[in-house]
Amino acid sequence: MRTSLIEIERIDRWLFNKHLPEERLLMEAELQLDEQLRLRVSQQKAAQHLVWQYGRKKLKQEIKMVEKRLFDSVQHRSFQNQIKSIFNF
Amino acid sequence: METIEQVEITTREERIVSWYEGLFPAVCGYIQKRGGDFELAKELFQEALVIYYEKYVLIGFLPQKAESAYIMGIVKKLWLRDHKTQRRMEQLGTIDITELKQPSPLIHKLLHLLEASGKRCMDLLQSFYYEGLNMKDLSRKFGYGSERSATVQKYKCLEKVRDEVNQKSLSYEDFLD
Repeated sequence: MRTSLIEIERIDRWLFNKHLPEERLLMEAELQLDEQLRLRVSQQKAAQHLVWQYGRKKLKQEIKMVEKRLFDSVQHRSFQNQIKSIFNF
Repeated sequence: METIEQVEITTREERIVSWYEGLFPAVCGYIQKRGGDFELAKELFQEALVIYYEKYVLIGFLPQKAESAYIMGIVKKLWLRDHKTQRRMEQLGTIDITELKQPSPLIHKLLHLLEASGKRCMDLLQSFYYEGLNMKDLSRKFGYGSERSATVQKYKCLEKVRDEVNQKSLSYEDFLD
């Protein structure tokens, strides 16, 4: 794996608290001294945030898709009737 | 307390179906009795499922109460949040419903860009970080020959997203309100 990917893997472990105790001390020291590393960590955190938002968006789509199927298909008629009787429609 | 066997349903979609079939009628009854309509019941249930998924399913936490009681508790809390009945909220104190904020316009724009330029990468990353798939399942899902290949690809994809953030001269702080 090339060097930049090794660093990404290392930052990933750091962000998710999966590093070894000795790695933590080293990383903390490097973060104190290396402004560029601090920036890359922050950008990777931002990238993770984007992935999380993307995952959430996909989950919402999946929930809506299931909901639509449950309310549209003949197979789920008794479920639909149950809900209809609650709201009287 | 639920056992592992009880919650071991094969796919996320099947879990969603079982949540709807098992719980949505009770949610509708609760909302209807309080003057809410079908649309509101759907909206609150969708939000409750996302909260439950992120807070409990992803981290592998099995609630002390039955799963259904937890999801119902989230729905009640969301209802009370919208109707500002703080005292009743406190009675449901242990259930955390930290709100799902709408993504900022900046995040919207970046997600759109990333989806257009690298949907496969975003799908791979979210499968690992958001769906919680292990590397074995991830390599099978995306057709990689080994877990190692999938791992390398995961970091390449993360690098790609990070580069996009870098090109826009952004950092994590820019995403905070």
